[in-house]
Amino acid sequence: MKAVVLAAGEGNRLRPFTVSRPKVMIPIGNRPILEYVVRALASNGITDIILVVGYMKERIMSFFGNGARFGVQISYAIQEKQLGTAHAALAVRDQVQEEFIMVAGDNIIDAQAIADLLGHGDGMAMLVTESEMPSKYGVVHIEGGRVVDIIEKPDKKVGNIINTGIYRLPPSIFDHLEKGVMAGRSGITHVLHGCLPKIKMEAVRSTGRWMDAVYPWDLVRLNEYAFSMAGQETSGTIEAGVTMRGPVRVGAGSRIRAGCYIEGPVSIGEGCEIGPYVTIFPTSSIGNGVNIAPFTTIDSSIIMNNVSIGSHSHISRAVIDDGCRIMTGLSAPSGLAQVKVEDDFFKVERAGSMVGEFTQIGPRVVLSAGAIVGANCRVGDGAKVSGTLEDRSIVV
Amino acid sequence: MCGIMGYSGHRRASEVLVEGLKRLEYRGYDSAGVAMVENGRLAMVKRQGELDVLQGALPRLEGRTGIGHTRWATCGRPSDRNAHPFLSCDGKLAIVHNGIIENHSTLRKRLEAEGHHFTSETDTEVVVHLLEGHFRGDLRQAMADTLKEIKGTYAIAAVLEGSEEIVAARKENPLVIGLGVQENFLASDVTALLSYTNKVLYVMDGETVSLTPNGVAIFDSEGAQVKREPSLVSWSAEDAQKGGFEHFMLKEIFEGPNAIHNTLLGALDLIENGEVLPRTDFQSVKLVACGSSYHAAMVGKYAMEEFAGVPTTLELASEYRYSPGARETPLVILITQSGETADTLAAAREARRRGCHTLAVTNVVGSTITREVDEVLYTRAGPEIGVAATKTFLTQLVAMYLVAIRIGYGNGTLSHASMRSALSSLRQSSNMVQSVLNRTHSIEEASRMLDRAGHCFFIGRNINYPTMLEGALKLKEISYIHAEGFAAGELKHGPLALLDATTPVIAVAIKGDHTYEKMLANISEVAARDSPVLGIGVEGDTDLGRLCERMIAIQPVEPVFSPLPVTVALQALAYYVARRRGCSIDKPKNLAKSVTVE
Repeated sequence: MKAVVLAAGEGNRLRPFTVSRPKVMIPIGNRPILEYVVRALASNGITDIILVVGYMKERIMSFFGNGARFGVQISYAIQEKQLGTAHAALAVRDQVQEEFIMVAGDNIIDAQAIADLLGHGDGMAMLVTESEMPSKYGVVHIEGGRVVDIIEKPDKKVGNIINTGIYRLPPSIFDHLEKGVMAGRSGITHVLHGCLPKIKMEAVRSTGRWMDAVYPWDLVRLNEYAFSMAGQETSGTIEAGVTMRGPVRVGAGSRIRAGCYIEGPVSIGEGCEIGPYVTIFPTSSIGNGVNIAPFTTIDSSIIMNNVSIGSHSHISRAVIDDGCRIMTGLSAPSGLAQVKVEDDFFKVERAGSMVGEFTQIGPRVVLSAGAIVGANCRVGDGAKVSGTLEDRSIVV
Repeated sequence: MCGIMGYSGHRRASEVLVEGLKRLEYRGYDSAGVAMVENGRLAMVKRQGELDVLQGALPRLEGRTGIGHTRWATCGRPSDRNAHPFLSCDGKLAIVHNGIIENHSTLRKRLEAEGHHFTSETDTEVVVHLLEGHFRGDLRQAMADTLKEIKGTYAIAAVLEGSEEIVAARKENPLVIGLGVQENFLASDVTALLSYTNKVLYVMDGETVSLTPNGVAIFDSEGAQVKREPSLVSWSAEDAQKGGFEHFMLKEIFEGPNAIHNTLLGALDLIENGEVLPRTDFQSVKLVACGSSYHAAMVGKYAMEEFAGVPTTLELASEYRYSPGARETPLVILITQSGETADTLAAAREARRRGCHTLAVTNVVGSTITREVDEVLYTRAGPEIGVAATKTFLTQLVAMYLVAIRIGYGNGTLSHASMRSALSSLRQSSNMVQSVLNRTHSIEEASRMLDRAGHCFFIGRNINYPTMLEGALKLKEISYIHAEGFAAGELKHGPLALLDATTPVIAVAIKGDHTYEKMLANISEVAARDSPVLGIGVEGDTDLGRLCERMIAIQPVEPVFSPLPVTVALQALAYYVARRRGCSIDKPKNLAKSVTVE
């Protein structure tokens, strides 16, 4: 059976982390979100995968190539303009002649989720799961095992079973999608909603993992849950006097200097320079080529590639994008915060700070809990930042 | 990246194997070999060099079961001996392997003590001896026992005399099975199988496989049989290799950041610990190369003088080898991507004859140049298929910086702290390159300025003068537009006469560089002649932006490292111009990838 994976969208609510990569390429546990999806399909023997790509497609193509590295065969369909998921799915119409699986590429799933869908007879089916935050998703009404209604992002509480965006579909679905798109419906659920009276869509409960990040601070939570590694796997140079507890992964060419204390699960990429005397607390992932200077503490954070962090810094539940340069003494604590994204305010508990790519942060800067600093910003010595800074802002 | 092929069926295995290996050529290789069951015994032929060499050496073999391999040397230089397959001491088993056996030296010591006889320098050979030790009549069981002892990554295939069975296993290296009628195949990539079948089974990490003409069985790491439905491959061999990209060149441009990262990973420790160039008290340095490599050498000259303060000269390899020997013995650095460039090889011999210490910078492990010099620094760009050098050029620049920093630290020009900080800036450069690639749509737009031009000029100063020479070379190579690079200061001495509204000029000016103001003045001169200017500069540079019709922006960067992001922008520019003009991008007319004739 073929799988069609939708990976063409930007995911703009996750800005600044989607400024130069699509949401599916955001690293969680040092792997792009899409890699979890591809591996989940591969473990179920689904090796013929079509990725629908669009926004920043080269980042996806140069990472996944033809799929050989993951034991699958990947081909690509291109959605030139991002006109919604229904339109994206139509890009594979010529390549799919039999029943197929359709998956959203931007949710972390495990093999069980796909297995549940495959193990449930034939015919059209939708994988559903319970959610604590149904208002962000499509809430489904099920009667006699069939999906009878989908309510997108309901304002009031109408149930907590949501659509995961994973389906088993017949090729005839393309006719419905095409009609839907012509009628101005951009999302797959929107189109399906219109067809539900006519089509028989089974609801399959997922017992596997299905996790989503909608807003930047969700990435930290995702990173916590995604860590499923066990045991230590270290290459590179670990100097004498380093303490490592729990599962810690260190990539080739990385150097962990004396006096560091690392409490797993922690994943450190290749070619990093950590320490001496750096403390890293659980569920942190550190990308490739990262420098962390002495006496710095990192807690439950995602530090992406080629970031350098000065000495005596404290970073908690933060996400720091590629190429950021942070001088000494950054204070970036986490705490309760009011965060604004696209005109909406959110009350977020234990919010850390979010920093976009290539931002430079001077010495002794304070980033308040929940601060969002855009890409390519410059924050001067001793500044205090709270709230949201647009890309390319300069703070003196 | 090595390639593996296996066959058991009714055809002549030798023919299927060589044909399949040819399809894996794109993975890069330096030697090849096959082993098959011939009249119940194993027959093996392996040769350094191209597959044609192997084919020429093959007698007519009738065997119907066999394995084959193309090798891209990583452990042990390319040679007939180090080529795969490898035979067990009793000659009854043969294996091929793709990947790295990390604990091979410990295993080898033990096996040698147990009386096993080794014939090569490779990490792979331990596998066949382990297999021999575990073999009790069941090849798959012996393989499962062997895998428990090895650490590392692999795709392995093994054959046994008098048997039609091939046993294979994989961990983090690709392996795929092709299903036929009364015949079955295995390979590193579906590409090798597509002439025979489009029905394939993918092998997952940790699984072992038993393959005979009549069937294939896959087992998980606990030994339980796995049920798997075959997939049907729907695309052509060439698409398979390009992984979604329209051309190899574009794919390889996008591999630039990873190539830089891998080169640094392979070399940072060597540089910091002084394992490359343990001696650095050279009075002068001479850089010798041809073509694009010569442009990398020119960047090297600036880097060498900036970081190490050593007088540095440049020579084209084809000139150096016939030059009169001056009374000096500089460190001679020879740069060749393939390691096989005839003129550069001759220059290396000449340098040693003159008593100079020699260092080669090359992308191919164990290539000829590595045997002609005292020391080698490898770039790790991986195989490059497009004729126009892209990612290999970037990694040559990285190698130049590394050598310059090493010499500078060794001779006291750089303190320990400045060395560390220079290396750390270099590490950031893969990201600078990525950032340019994240905005290729603006470069694609900018390519409209050039696609109808008859002539183009590229100008720059200081360390970006050679970058612009390379930019011009790239453009003429693949788009067939006449393009010339100039030091911007030389414009007034002639080329300015050629400028008019139909001649676009590409100019680089990096804010922070001490020649920045001069560059702006040169760009004004050009603009005054109505030439459309495409500027390359640092993001947010409005002074430059005002002078140009269009601007390609890079991240703020230390000027000395700016050739890396600027080069990748120019590579992408050349690509998009050529695509607009409908040129044959991966195979430009009259050009070959590696120039092995003089």
